[in-house]
Amino acid sequence: MSSLGKQPKTKLKAGDTLPSVVKHVSQEKINLYAEASGDFNPIHIDEAFARQTPFGGTVAHGMLCLAYVSEMMTAAFGRSWAAGGRLSVRFKAPARPGDTITIEGKVVSTVDEEGVVYANCSLGARNQKGETVVVGEAKVKLG
Amino acid sequence: MEEKSPGNMPARGFDQLVKGYEFSPVSYELSKSAISKYLEAVAGQGGYPSSDFVPPMCVAARSLGVLSGLISLLAGAIHTSQELEFLKLVPVGTTIECHGRVVQKLQRGRLRLLVIGLSTFNQDKEQVLAGKTTLVLPG
Repeated sequence: MSSLGKQPKTKLKAGDTLPSVVKHVSQEKINLYAEASGDFNPIHIDEAFARQTPFGGTVAHGMLCLAYVSEMMTAAFGRSWAAGGRLSVRFKAPARPGDTITIEGKVVSTVDEEGVVYANCSLGARNQKGETVVVGEAKVKLG
Repeated sequence: MEEKSPGNMPARGFDQLVKGYEFSPVSYELSKSAISKYLEAVAGQGGYPSSDFVPPMCVAARSLGVLSGLISLLAGAIHTSQELEFLKLVPVGTTIECHGRVVQKLQRGRLRLLVIGLSTFNQDKEQVLAGKTTLVLPG
């Protein structure tokens, strides 16, 4: 994870892609995330319970995928992301144990709001089959 | 991580929640060990974080975690969308106070949907995070 103590040089402009992040999801990581977040919903950690749901097995926490999104945004924007970043996403499909998730983003536009320039970014996460797992947008101050 | 729940308040079920309902605030500390645990889960990198500040998604994750403890019937609930705004850097060791309220509640047939608004504050009462979580509950 990128250090929040560093401030990347954000010379990003519309059309630029953000540094992608690739993560492998495992049941061990999901269990660790449940412990760390306090979210013990059995759909994430109880295989017997999860098998009886429409998912047919355990799935990763949506917030775990967002942690990967945030890692990408921190790498691109540093402190501006951690203090001023905004995010809006929809979870389209579950990330499952064994999946490899690729997080990608792009600067869609930049806007000047009363002298402060913001980047509007599109965000997405897909699995190894190319299925969209997360889709959304973010806004963050540049510079 | 020490968590202070609001007087052992029982978790509320979907039927007990109404639009506008405010959960009693819950506070917790973002200690070094809690952050290390989080980093291990999200990045596979154990040990102490490389900066003095908490990863913003760690604050969001912990806050949603404690709020979910105030809602029963969440077994099998599906997280369908999330909005977040990171308002202020959070130093390691900060005590967070987490407020939640029901923004929207819908029930149509077997579909039950809850939108929970989230506001978190540091010990100086400054807001550090705002968010909105949409959950679909099993029928």
